[in-house]
Amino acid sequence: MMNEGFIYLDHAAATPVDPLVLDSMLPYFSELFFNPSSPYAQAVKVKRDYTEAKRRIAQNLGVQADELVMTAGATESINIAFSAARGKILVSSVEHSATLSAAKKAGDLIKIPANNRGRISPESLSRLMSPDVTFVSVGLVNNELGTVQPIEDIGRIIEVERQRRIASGENNPLIFHCDASQATALIDIKIKRLGVDLLTLSAAKVYGPKQVGLLWVKPGILLAPTIVGGGQENGLRSGTENVAGVIGFATALELASKRRSGERQRLQKMRDQMAQSLSQEFPEMIISSDSKKGLVNFLHISFPGLDAERLIFWLESRGVMVATGSACAANKGTRSHILEAIGMDDRAIQGSLRISLGRLSTEENIENATRLIIEAVNLEQARVR
Amino acid sequence: MARVFVGMSGGVDSSVTASLLVEQGYDVTGVYMKNWTQDMPGMHCPWAEDVADAKRVAVSLGIDFEVFDFENEYKQQVVDAMVSEYKAGRTPNPDVMCNQEIKFKLFLDTALARGADLIATGHYARVTPDGKLMRAFDENKDQTYFLYRVKSEALKKTLFPLGDMTKQQVRDYATEKNLWTADKKESMGICFVGQVGIREFLEQYITLEPGEIILQETGQVVGRHDSAMLYTIGQRHGLNIGGGLPYYVTGKDIQKNQVYVSQNIDNQSMWRDELTLTDLSWVGASPEPTDDLQVRLRHRGSLLPLSGLSINDEKAQISLKESERAVAAGQSAVIYRGDEVMGGGIIS
Repeated sequence: MMNEGFIYLDHAAATPVDPLVLDSMLPYFSELFFNPSSPYAQAVKVKRDYTEAKRRIAQNLGVQADELVMTAGATESINIAFSAARGKILVSSVEHSATLSAAKKAGDLIKIPANNRGRISPESLSRLMSPDVTFVSVGLVNNELGTVQPIEDIGRIIEVERQRRIASGENNPLIFHCDASQATALIDIKIKRLGVDLLTLSAAKVYGPKQVGLLWVKPGILLAPTIVGGGQENGLRSGTENVAGVIGFATALELASKRRSGERQRLQKMRDQMAQSLSQEFPEMIISSDSKKGLVNFLHISFPGLDAERLIFWLESRGVMVATGSACAANKGTRSHILEAIGMDDRAIQGSLRISLGRLSTEENIENATRLIIEAVNLEQARVR
Repeated sequence: MARVFVGMSGGVDSSVTASLLVEQGYDVTGVYMKNWTQDMPGMHCPWAEDVADAKRVAVSLGIDFEVFDFENEYKQQVVDAMVSEYKAGRTPNPDVMCNQEIKFKLFLDTALARGADLIATGHYARVTPDGKLMRAFDENKDQTYFLYRVKSEALKKTLFPLGDMTKQQVRDYATEKNLWTADKKESMGICFVGQVGIREFLEQYITLEPGEIILQETGQVVGRHDSAMLYTIGQRHGLNIGGGLPYYVTGKDIQKNQVYVSQNIDNQSMWRDELTLTDLSWVGASPEPTDDLQVRLRHRGSLLPLSGLSINDEKAQISLKESERAVAAGQSAVIYRGDEVMGGGIIS
């Protein structure tokens, strides 16, 4: 993987396609380009490969292949999932905007509050639960802070409410969706254990191709397609199958399974080292990522009074790539709703950097990045003083 | 050292401007003027990308950077004024209005109020210490046509660091300094029309009514148009009339919504050697009829020698040594005395 001349610290935004993933995909762009629906043997072989890739993905996740709807990415999966939502919809206040937008479109969005680390408590979900809630959506890992949500606990509360409805003869459905796209590279997802009804994943966050995702649908959950046509993916996502993309996704998930535990240790060590060095240098720095319960590759830091976009522009010119939730040009001046939701004040939001480590991170480049971040912050602090 | 606020649009010219001033030792603050953010049909407004480009350059120069939000003022003083000019059948120039009202008035005043001693922009023009406006060294890039309504008092507080440079020198400098915007394509700047068609622009504000195209010589209806407002005297294209020799717009009646055309390029309606200017504006003192004067009727147009000039309170009459084609009402006539820009007015 390319790593020369730059230090990439934005794995939460995009991951480079692993060379093995790319290799597995390439034949399906050239000699195996056939439409899986075509009648001749060569195409049928491609169809088999596609079906096999879905089976491999399903096995990785501990579910059945025909429960998977392959999509063009997590946003599309979320949109299909929300076709089952209407009326009152409970969504965590720190969800990705794809989920918040889909919820607003589908019904009455009620946000589940989060604490200052972006974690929602099962109790606050209980308080908001009512007989007319039809849909709950909580992401497994927050995309800005790396916070891991207590999905299983939430699932239990939902199950209790479901049983209550059955016992009291109410027939209002209650569906639980989880967007786990940010999690796959480092968390072993066994869907059945989570207690969800719908689950979204993305290949793009797990060293696979962009515009490839999936929605797992628990048998019995009825959804409506957002795209209609030839009836592929059980009628829920028409369009010629993205054979190369799905095969790449399968390879990517298998590689993640093999590497996960080693990567977790490696990244946590580097992340903690970086956090410690920065905290020592800047005692006023706020760390909002959860070093114990959060995903180990996230480090979210804020320098109140500084302009994060200036830090990013200075760092990029030294080859260091980081993200921000501040109101910057890249998001047309809108600040992160996630940072607002955790109660961060404006000055801190404006000075916020999201650092996310991954396979491109090495001890050497993390050390260099730490040194450069210190230099950038010192420069900017001197400028605003 | 003097504090300078530099208008940074995110283009190469204003990036180089800021860099030069830093090198010259000024205390520089980069400012993006947020004048226009709306997308138009078929045209994405790249303001956010432009802010980021400008800010990237500012950070690389180690200077402060701010965004001044002039969107409301720009809408009122440039956009609304433009629409009403079109409604009146004239063809206004938004860049002239933007310079007069926004860059060298609002931006200047805001910058001064915020502690600036001077402002600077990336215009290709020169200014003398006593506030005279002079043509740029690079004749191909000279932008004084758009600046003639700026007053001497404002120019005394203005720096044009690119006035002595050619565009090539500016590009070379940007490349040498590795400025982020060095290879950025030329944009039409902050003023937006030109990137979108005037039709798309006007349709945002008024309903266009179709009307007749009439052959001037015979009075015969030869076609239809979408609105007389969209046509300018001397214009050759877009008449939707098939075949034969090209037609030229020789006149229009905005009340009747009629456009008159001719196939005769020598049609006298398109040629003028006497112009009446209204809405006069002089940089400093008004020119003397005895001066050796020239006039420019469009950006980068030739400097046409004057044979006569008379100015009264509100109007000026100018006579051209040779008659000129396609002189559109609403456009500016800018009067020069050699390299010096005297000012000018709106062609009526």
